[in-house]
Amino acid sequence: MSTASTPHLAVATPERVALSLPVAGIGYRCLAWLVDASLLFFFWVVAYFVFTLLVSDVLGVFQGLSGAGQTLLVVGIFATQWLYWTLGEVFFHGQTPGKRALRIRVVRLDGSPVGLYESAVRNLCRAVDFLPGVYAAGCISMLLTPQHRRLGDLLAGTVLVREERIDLDKYTATRAPEAGAPGPKATRALTPDEVELVLAFLTRAPGLHADVRRRMGTKLVEKLGGLTSEEQVTVLASAEATEAFLRAHVQVER
Amino acid sequence: MAVALPAFVASHRGSWDSLEALLTRQREGTLTLEELRTLDTLYRRAASDLAHAQTFYPGTDAHRFLNQLCARAYAAIYQPPRERWASVRAFFRREFPQTLRRELRYVGASAALFILGLLLGALVVLWEPRGAELLVPAGVRQYVAQGRMWTDDILSVAPPNSVSSGIATNNLTVTILTFAMGLFYGLGTVFILVNNGVQIGAIAALCAREGMLGRLMDFISAHGPVELSVIVIAGGAGLMVGQSLIDPGELPRGQALALRGREAVKLVLGCAPFLALIGVVEGYVSPGDLFPTWAKAALGLALGGLFWGYLLRAGSAEAETVPEVRAS
Repeated sequence: MSTASTPHLAVATPERVALSLPVAGIGYRCLAWLVDASLLFFFWVVAYFVFTLLVSDVLGVFQGLSGAGQTLLVVGIFATQWLYWTLGEVFFHGQTPGKRALRIRVVRLDGSPVGLYESAVRNLCRAVDFLPGVYAAGCISMLLTPQHRRLGDLLAGTVLVREERIDLDKYTATRAPEAGAPGPKATRALTPDEVELVLAFLTRAPGLHADVRRRMGTKLVEKLGGLTSEEQVTVLASAEATEAFLRAHVQVER
Repeated sequence: MAVALPAFVASHRGSWDSLEALLTRQREGTLTLEELRTLDTLYRRAASDLAHAQTFYPGTDAHRFLNQLCARAYAAIYQPPRERWASVRAFFRREFPQTLRRELRYVGASAALFILGLLLGALVVLWEPRGAELLVPAGVRQYVAQGRMWTDDILSVAPPNSVSSGIATNNLTVTILTFAMGLFYGLGTVFILVNNGVQIGAIAALCAREGMLGRLMDFISAHGPVELSVIVIAGGAGLMVGQSLIDPGELPRGQALALRGREAVKLVLGCAPFLALIGVVEGYVSPGDLFPTWAKAALGLALGGLFWGYLLRAGSAEAETVPEVRAS
């Protein structure tokens, strides 16, 4: 539950609140790269097939181009490999398609979005991070730096942060009060951690194995305490009764 | 006394949701001025909620949610100034040459390393002809042994245009590598500079022994001056990066690297268009007998002179700005 152990990027805002953004680790980054790389790969495959469908003699057309056109074409293709990353990061708020799929984002060290300069630098350094093959240098750098930055990130002053999908519904969706269950009375106030724990259990309960569901419910009821032994028997009679009790318990807190 | 967590979430959720909606619309660029003001208010409110959550509900999902929400709003509100074409023009008119003049020491060191490699390569091959077997690529050796230039065949195999584009991309890769290898404490840059110098020196010496020096000069004179300058400048940028890692001064290494790296990258980015240009010359003019040697040499000298004239003079009329450290 706690994220204290994972590396964070701390940002001080003018509002005097410290933001701490979770940093994307090497796994996220490799996956995002794989997505991007396969996108580029399929783009070229498709482009090639479309082109060969339109014209039969590919080499002939290429040689038929005027000199400047040919030069532009080849330099353009070369540039695409760089531009793809940089344009993606500059125009889509620090996210290439692969990064978007993995919900990670390039930001500057102060949490602000990357500009053209930072993006250009970190992507130019891809060439070095790739050395001596398959991003070995970049991976070593990511493993050694506390915020998992590759060499290009170090030079450009950027870092990749993760966006988590957090559902607040669990706090507000516990409204339905159920009659019949013994209401909690005169219990101590729950700590936020306990509320969090109970809510997390309630969210996941329907998907749990029956045994596990029963066992964890029992544990939670015992942890919260404040019941006589007869009441405890009623509460623990069925999984539904246990959860209704827990739900009511958290509800008292609101 | 803190409110219980679910109650806290329930009472504030409305304003968080509307902030989220506004942020989505801000990204799409469809905000009205009125909504922008609301966004600002909502952000401040969310920031204070975050402070509350940090104190009373640390480590909960609500805390993390607020953290992320505020981060998004923060990024939307405190945006860095945008780069525009005007700044690109200003970069080439003033900033690039000025940066280069400021960091001329590193470019000098880089040139010295390159020349050192050049001399080493040449001396080894001149003293000990068998050294060529080590230093000169086998393909080139074969051509020289047959008394031909390897560049003669470039033209007969492929039309000049594709040669030019191939050379341009190859040069870009070499330049970027020369610079970026500086991240290995400058050692990578030193290696590439010396290595390139040794190779070119060795080839030149080999050609001289075989009496082909004239033809080699014929090939490289048109593009050589600018191309080698660009690689030397990229080497200088790489050395800057390496120096900031070895001797970061009073800053932590990471910060020193980011700060100096900024200056160094300017040098590399500034060189890029010249490199593409010289690739065209190398592809069209240098190979073959289309142009007489003296024309190639004159073109090369003129281009080199223009390039260095631009680097050493451009933007010097205006007062040299203090190296700006962009506040971040």
